Amino acid sequence: MTAALADLRAARRRRRLGEIHWVDALYKAYLTALLGTIAVLVLSGWVGDAELTPAELTRASADGPAAIGLVVAVAIAGGLRSGSRGGPLAIEGADVRHVLLGPVDRRAALRAPALRQLRHAGFVGLVVGAVAGQLAVRRMPGDAVEWVLTAGAAGGLAAVATVGAGLVASGRRLPGWAATVVGAGLVGWAAADLAAVVPGSSVTGAFGRLALVPLELDTGAVAGAGVAAVVAVGLAGLGLVGIGGLSVEAAERRTALVGQLRFAATLQDLRTVIVLRRQLAQEHPRRAARLRWVPGGRGRFPVWERDWRGLVRWPTARIVRLLALAAVAGVALRGAAAGTTPLVVVAGLAAYVAALDAVEGLAQELDHPSLAESIPRERGAIHVRHLPLAVAVMAAAGLVGLAAAVAVDPSAEAASVGALTVVSVALAATAGGAIGTVGGAVEQSGAWSLVPPEVSGMRNAVRLVWPPALAVIGVLPVLAATRPPEGTTPTLAAASVAALVALLAAGVFAWIRVRDAVRASIARAMETAGSGGGVRAAIAAADEATRPTSPAPDTPAPPTAPTAAADRHSISGRPAPRDRRKKKVLP
Amino acid sequence: MTTVPTLRTHALAKSYGDLDALAPLDLRIDPGTSVALVGHNGSGKSTLLKLVAGLLEPSDGHVEIEGAEVGSIAARAAVSYLPDDPVLYDDLSVREHVEYLSRLHGGPGCDADAEDLIGRLGLAHRADDLPARFSRGLRQRTAVLVGLSRPFSLLLVDEPFVGLDAGGKRTLLDLLAEATAAGATLLVATHEEAYVDRVDRCIALRDGEVIHDGPATPGEVVALVS
Repeated sequence: MTAALADLRAARRRRRLGEIHWVDALYKAYLTALLGTIAVLVLSGWVGDAELTPAELTRASADGPAAIGLVVAVAIAGGLRSGSRGGPLAIEGADVRHVLLGPVDRRAALRAPALRQLRHAGFVGLVVGAVAGQLAVRRMPGDAVEWVLTAGAAGGLAAVATVGAGLVASGRRLPGWAATVVGAGLVGWAAADLAAVVPGSSVTGAFGRLALVPLELDTGAVAGAGVAAVVAVGLAGLGLVGIGGLSVEAAERRTALVGQLRFAATLQDLRTVIVLRRQLAQEHPRRAARLRWVPGGRGRFPVWERDWRGLVRWPTARIVRLLALAAVAGVALRGAAAGTTPLVVVAGLAAYVAALDAVEGLAQELDHPSLAESIPRERGAIHVRHLPLAVAVMAAAGLVGLAAAVAVDPSAEAASVGALTVVSVALAATAGGAIGTVGGAVEQSGAWSLVPPEVSGMRNAVRLVWPPALAVIGVLPVLAATRPPEGTTPTLAAASVAALVALLAAGVFAWIRVRDAVRASIARAMETAGSGGGVRAAIAAADEATRPTSPAPDTPAPPTAPTAAADRHSISGRPAPRDRRKKKVLP
Repeated sequence: MTTVPTLRTHALAKSYGDLDALAPLDLRIDPGTSVALVGHNGSGKSTLLKLVAGLLEPSDGHVEIEGAEVGSIAARAAVSYLPDDPVLYDDLSVREHVEYLSRLHGGPGCDADAEDLIGRLGLAHRADDLPARFSRGLRQRTAVLVGLSRPFSLLLVDEPFVGLDAGGKRTLLDLLAEATAAGATLLVATHEEAYVDRVDRCIALRDGEVIHDGPATPGEVVALVS
């Protein structure tokens, strides 16, 4: 049977390789190299090349291993959680049905994909670590080759440990709660190490000691390297040995969702990605509401009430995630205020991800367009009414971020600037989350099919970057407070920028209100251009020149038949992209 | 001597959170028996079949296939599962599916019998095509081919007639009858009440619970599931 499995895989590999065109492969390699180079150059610019002061070096040497250890602990905890849900392997559906249900040793059948995943993760970790090492050498003493080698090794081993932990959890069928407890324990231990409660004790700190060998090579660093290697190889080995115990039910659920997730990500359909990720995590709303009370209720604000009822059914995991993201944003902004400017991006992205949860009411509206269309109101008018609760949720979460930021370095100024930033981030991140959600999937047909790829590519890039950029703009009051203009206080400087951010957010909210009407006008204009002249008519005329028997190009188009009420839903419950376009009749 | 049942479930139950998809079920099906599983949508037919196939894990109870625990290699060798949603490789032709999957289950590969089956299912002219490009009905025929061209003693079939034209249905009914005649045990979930005339036993489910277990006429089935 194992020989038959090997033959099956060899045949499929042959076919796959046969279908790869060398031009495509070269183009992919070219794109990867180009994007990689751009990323390294941008990161280099952010990191700068000013050498650290002796005091900063001492701090980096003392806290660096624990800080890196905290990141590794979070990654391993994520691996454990993924493993408890059947990850990290995403086995092909046909393999689940035919191989895992066949009379084949599952460990033997899964060893190859598991090894492939470990190899891939190790390579990616190695590259990321090596890039980080190359950046570190610009500001820290030591040999560049040493930095690249040790940081690369630490990154590779950390990635292998993460995937290995997932394989162990998956093969041993670790329950979700147990994975959460073990993961939280690891993160807590690493955090305690960083906070110097139990200095130098955490096992994940070993990865940090290996990464920072060029800074301090002593017996502790060597031991750290050994521990990191043992942990990574041990977890990978344990994972490979036990992978046969994987749950077929979890594997099948995962394989279907991961396939759809990749497709949705390709289309930049953010909402579908979120819904599928929640399904993967089995994150469902609670059946019973946490509260019966509805603030400002009694039917005066039905959209607010609807959103509130959804909010009080949020699963615990979503609440915890929102608060954790707020805390991350708060701590990152404290770091940005202390001089590490690139941390504003971390804070902004954390706020953006939190906002994607906060705009759940609006997202539900978009998921069920036929319900919204049955309401005698413009869609934009309803959409914009979902935003107040989202802003309120973000502001409430922001208070947790503010508490975290002030706890790191308590001061009255931090509190006042932080309070202004909470308002600014709540507005801007909600605007970003709302724009990202209403955007839907990329449409490559219709009028956009006529523009050159360079233009549609730019448009797609802007679609991708603009929503999170809005959230990043929301944290700018913190930066303004670090460089107040002469004659003003940091709080006043922050207030000025916060006011500008509020204006920007108001503009975005207004756009959401009128978006449908504007798009409809553009579509009408395109149709008019198509039937009476313009680009489409020119293309049609060119076609006619080669088809003399066709009807005259200026024959009026028949009136467009209204599309049937679109209730064909994708996995998220949203209509497939083509359902949301009016059918156009080409001349 | 006591016969080892082909399928035995003991207090088998499946729930999703607070939703019971299948209430505790004790079931025994002896070798060579053909059984129709009927019930309205959401009654638990597919859940039961998936539990027996090993695709779902029970919330409670257990399943034995020819005395072996479901999921064991012996049980997997005995069960062939024909789902209502054909799951096939995108990059293998029909013939390659039979060749490799039959061998994976200890069969001879795409031998003369398999070629005969390909012909009977009307796939001869498409045998070297990729099923990924097939219509729903042709994919269903390919799934039937893959399921029947490997050795099995328990055949689980979920809504087999969906997507098949009249000729395809006739062929499938003949093939199922031949499998029973060859000694295989059949468990077929279907909405076609006429099919119960062709089986030894009919199990009707409603909201995850067995409401009938025994012979039944099509008229009785209609009354049971409506």
